[in-house]
Amino acid sequence: MTWSRILSGKDTWTNKQRVLIFASRGVSYRGRHLANDLRTLMPHTRTDSKLDKAKGFFEINEICVMRNCNKCIFFEARKTDLYVWMANAPHGPSAKFLIENIHTLAELKMTGNCLRGSRPILSFDPKFDSQPNYKLLKELFIQIFGTPRLHPKSQPFIDHVLSFSIADNRIWFRNYQIIEEDGALTEIGPRFVLNPIKIFNGSFGGPLLYENPKYVSPNYYRAQLKKKVGQRYRNKVESVLGLEGRKMKETYATDPLNDVFVTIRPEDAKGKEKMTFYRRK
Amino acid sequence: MAASMADERNASEQSDADSEEEFEASDQQLQEAFEEGFLKPGLNFIAKPTKEFAYDLPGMKNALQNFKQDLSWIERMDVTCGPANIPGEDEEESQAPEEDEVEDYFKRELKFYRQAQAAVLEALPQLNKLNVQTKRPADYFAEMAKSDAHMKRVREKLIERQIALEKSEKAKKLRELKKFGKSVQQEVLSARQREKSEMTKKLKKMTKGKMKETTEELKEQQKKGKKRNLEPKGRDFNKGRKLTKKQQYKDAKYGFGGQKRNMKRNTRDSARADDDGFSYGRNRKDVDKERKKRGQKVFRPGKNRRKAMKQRKGKKR
Repeated sequence: MTWSRILSGKDTWTNKQRVLIFASRGVSYRGRHLANDLRTLMPHTRTDSKLDKAKGFFEINEICVMRNCNKCIFFEARKTDLYVWMANAPHGPSAKFLIENIHTLAELKMTGNCLRGSRPILSFDPKFDSQPNYKLLKELFIQIFGTPRLHPKSQPFIDHVLSFSIADNRIWFRNYQIIEEDGALTEIGPRFVLNPIKIFNGSFGGPLLYENPKYVSPNYYRAQLKKKVGQRYRNKVESVLGLEGRKMKETYATDPLNDVFVTIRPEDAKGKEKMTFYRRK
Repeated sequence: MAASMADERNASEQSDADSEEEFEASDQQLQEAFEEGFLKPGLNFIAKPTKEFAYDLPGMKNALQNFKQDLSWIERMDVTCGPANIPGEDEEESQAPEEDEVEDYFKRELKFYRQAQAAVLEALPQLNKLNVQTKRPADYFAEMAKSDAHMKRVREKLIERQIALEKSEKAKKLRELKKFGKSVQQEVLSARQREKSEMTKKLKKMTKGKMKETTEELKEQQKKGKKRNLEPKGRDFNKGRKLTKKQQYKDAKYGFGGQKRNMKRNTRDSARADDDGFSYGRNRKDVDKERKKRGQKVFRPGKNRRKAMKQRKGKKR
């Protein structure tokens, strides 16, 4: 890249990716901060006001068109969980993830720093080439997170790496600063983990291409935890009832008529029995 | 995982085809089902409904083909590579079981770090070949991802942590030293005690007359041990006395003449039975005051020494 080539118009900004980063209503402060962090790292992004989920997701495609964006990162808040959609708008494909372990830039006290808007090197785990679903996601990540060359807001130096690694069926995101040319790095932040849920053929919908069989919804997980606690009480009650059931009512079967002719001595009589017998003085 | 999914799919298709045979399940199958808890007392068991997970392989390939960009590497700058090897570590060693890595924070982060490192090592030469600048000149200033205020906070935190670490290290060392000093002091004290008891033993032997030759040392010790004046003190009444050997010995042992009052009184000399290195002058409280009165410079040792002196004083009392 020489300046003369750029100035003469031989090198131009060809890869015109624009990413819309925004969130749904009710997103937590953490999700909002993460969205902001991504915006500081990526100069080719735009944002929009928070979306009311009641309007439905297909409207997002229209927003993307209006904002002149062809990629979208949408943070969807549900209960305490944060989901993220990454889509190639408006034709797809799109993927939905559960975001776990968010650590925003402000939270992390890391010593690394990079230019605002410098282009990152995108580092991928070799596992991304092992399965078609990961291949698809890799292409999506490259197009979304890669800053286009010669983007007007970008910086001319390459000083950080975005790394995507697969571990435990999740995608781990890290951002490192390049300190030395020999490969010394320090982390910048933010950190998060993407747990893939579904991949759709369309943008924010359409036919399902892939569904993660190992994904457990956080709702279900929490319910299971609660159930486990509830089960403890239930076990206790059941064990008490079981013990009562197992106890023998009578140890030996006797004839109830045995007692008919038993007479009680007046000395042993108690209560009503006293009325049955009087001894003359 | 794709292979395993495909296997599951094949298995389910097969099971549909062989549904007639399923009615006559073999004993072994029944046993397996019982072990897994599907079989309850009774003759029927309910098959667990298996959820079908979408896995559209051609669809995925198609989608990838459709939206893939056909751009040169410099536009995308993606690198796919495994973690870089640490120099001096064999490859076999670095191949730790994956579960371990996920749970262990440091192992996991190290793996990610090394992956990024490998990517850098691969990408930078390529970038250099393409004449892309990777180093920012020192005089190039631009807005950074993290603000100066944020970086200042980070630095402060780092320094704080370092200071705390140093402090704790220092305290640890001091504690160790104190422990050591104590043991030394105890040794000295016990040695002194031993010496003293030996001396008194010798003295006893001597005074009983068992030991004939009285050494100079013992004599001195005797003087020290008995605070009474052993030299004949009387001025006149000693003149005309003719002393028997026995009287001489008794005089030597008990002394004679002089004031008998206050003999058994506790004084600071009597309390300090032997020379234990205690100095009144050094321990006098008003040394500084007197020096001031005299217009002399007040001697003030350094803080550590003052502290040590204070401690010593405290122990004496």
